[in-house]
Amino acid sequence: MGRVEDRNQSAWLLLPDGSRPEPRLRDQMRRFADDDEVDLVIVGCGAGGSTLLQRMARAGWKVVALDAGPFWEPETDWVSDEAGSHHLYWEEPRVIGGSDPVPLGSNNSGRGVGGSMVHYAGYTPRFHPSDFHTRSLDGVGADWPFAYEDLKPYYSDIENELPVAGEDWPWGDPHSYPQRPHPVSGNGELFMRGADAEGITAKVGPVAISNGRFGHRPHCIYRGFCLQGCKVNAKASPLITHIPDALDHGAEVRADSMVSSIEIDERTGRATGVHYIQDGRSRFQRARMVAIAGYSIETPRLLLNSTSKRFPDGLCNDFDQVGRYLMVQGAPQTAGRFESEVRMWKGPPPEVSTEDFYETDPSKPYKRGFSIQSVSPMPIAWAEHVMAQGHWGAALRHYMSDYVHWASYGALCEFLPQPDNRVTLAEETDRHGLRVAKFDYSQCDNDRQLLAAAQGVMERILTAAGASEVITIQRFAHLVGGARMADNERDGVVDGDGVTFAVPNLLITDGSVLPTQGSANPALTIMAVAARAADRLIRRKG
Amino acid sequence: MNQLPLDPADGGGRFPGFDVIAQSGHWDRATQSVVGSRLGLLPHVRFFTPEEEVVARALFDQILDQREEPRVPVFNMVDVRLAEQQTDGWHYESLPADAEAWRRSLRALSDDADARHGVGFADCAWEQQSAILDAVQKRGDDDWHGFPASRVWSLWTRYACTAFYSHPWAWNEIGFAGPAYPRGYKNMGVDRLEPFEVRDIRPHDDPARRDS
Repeated sequence: MGRVEDRNQSAWLLLPDGSRPEPRLRDQMRRFADDDEVDLVIVGCGAGGSTLLQRMARAGWKVVALDAGPFWEPETDWVSDEAGSHHLYWEEPRVIGGSDPVPLGSNNSGRGVGGSMVHYAGYTPRFHPSDFHTRSLDGVGADWPFAYEDLKPYYSDIENELPVAGEDWPWGDPHSYPQRPHPVSGNGELFMRGADAEGITAKVGPVAISNGRFGHRPHCIYRGFCLQGCKVNAKASPLITHIPDALDHGAEVRADSMVSSIEIDERTGRATGVHYIQDGRSRFQRARMVAIAGYSIETPRLLLNSTSKRFPDGLCNDFDQVGRYLMVQGAPQTAGRFESEVRMWKGPPPEVSTEDFYETDPSKPYKRGFSIQSVSPMPIAWAEHVMAQGHWGAALRHYMSDYVHWASYGALCEFLPQPDNRVTLAEETDRHGLRVAKFDYSQCDNDRQLLAAAQGVMERILTAAGASEVITIQRFAHLVGGARMADNERDGVVDGDGVTFAVPNLLITDGSVLPTQGSANPALTIMAVAARAADRLIRRKG
Repeated sequence: MNQLPLDPADGGGRFPGFDVIAQSGHWDRATQSVVGSRLGLLPHVRFFTPEEEVVARALFDQILDQREEPRVPVFNMVDVRLAEQQTDGWHYESLPADAEAWRRSLRALSDDADARHGVGFADCAWEQQSAILDAVQKRGDDDWHGFPASRVWSLWTRYACTAFYSHPWAWNEIGFAGPAYPRGYKNMGVDRLEPFEVRDIRPHDDPARRDS
């Protein structure tokens, strides 16, 4: 703990006007040679990889992080525009199947330094203590190798580093946030009004958008384009919350470098480095340890593509666990029509949430629950809502002309982990000739019951706030699992410290290690789990 | 020119005088350039063949009810995306990758038109085209020329709407103020507008209610 600036200087390493990190950080960045044996090479510079990078650099390790995408300069690379932000997403080919295929790309997949936190909304709730032992408690899901209490100090650390703004939080383990809640827009105002009328507790936050100046980072200007990358530098992403401090402590970030496989020494069984492709050339970075942080699709894909004599079915896949138990949250969005003008695109999409329905309710036929949050689709996303009602042609244009009158809320339903919801390799290859990921997803009965219940609550809130019509679109949000933590190698891929069961010097430090997902947006938990893994790694050295 | 032709009975003219581009002086340069490029001349057609172009133009006119000039150049915008392989980052297992799915589904649409009316899709009357598309949509998850109809419908409408609703003329029609950086918003809250926003003159024109 202690003062943030003593642990992580990132916010103070931006230029005084807050426009960008000090240029010297990149211009004078330390650069390792491929044949330097670094202490640690990290694959992926998102929530998990960047947090690990910053912690290890601070501990004095020689560490380099590779990312398949670019090292962003927000002022020139990002725009206040929906269609113009496609390059923020993972656009390389992927195949989706199962009875309920889950769209990827803009919905949940980032590319480039900062990862998908570059385009996440900014909600950063903690998981509840119950999420860590749903198997023992509710007979569904899985138990984590550690408890909420073990993660709690890391939650607090990361909340202070981002920092998080919100009201005192009454749910799960009650806690407060380092910054006061933001003012809300018309969309959030109606949420509060409807929830209040229905006796549902709603709170403002928690969002990782600085409310006030933080270090050299500016105040939010409420422009609403959080999902298109924050040009203001008010919304937290590792690009501004962890990478600057990592670079300042001698870490290297090697962008535009696609890792193709992990090399294993057939004699010792240990990882020796990573093969990657940069500027069309195949290269190899030697390393004493390797950490994979490519998130729930690319991490399993990389493991499955890393075959060897020792691991003919993919790295760490002795027990056919790689890619399994991948989860998404059911995320139906319900919108309501008001006579007044809501103009929901004004202000950040993340404003108000309720976790009143998060825990298992013994009076209901289903286990676990859902949360509800304000969302605010921009025109292209809103057109999907309208089309989901079956409208096209003249009816679509007419509905769209009514945009200013609608408010919209989204649920996050805790879909349960299932072994057949998984990543495998498709026959299709990318431009490097690497087989792409195939992601199959099918809902179970409990999942479907949660969707219906959540939609019902959203309709109640909107109707109580005065909506004359409600419409719902079925969708999914977030990804976790695919290389989960477990007590042993037959039930998962890594132990509670993120170390793979099969290779002693190989870690996984991203969302793919989560055994359950709760009804919370996962970014904060991914960072906290990575921070904990870093702490354990630092203590183990020697 | 800043308004698309749309009958008031179909939601046209709700925001009189509203022009998003009039505010573009308040946007950052990167955004000005990206949005501005949609108003200028678009690249030559690179992806679609001339035969596909004829069908695709008619399809986009139908999906977005663009019956006369001026139109948002949806066809050209989709052609740019496909030529540059700017996909959504996924495709359904039951469909080929987007480029191939587009070619094959346009061919299937031609086949439907030919089977029903003995002419190409674009040469059918407006109502005939609408009926052909209506039949595809109503098939839901059932097979249509070897693909689940709903997946093809999703492909067509996703590309069409992404193009149309990225265009400032479409924003004018729906009252959306567009980019807001570095200015941001000062007047948040129900019924609170910025000085440059224009209020809906027909707040009772609720299309949902009109349907029922």
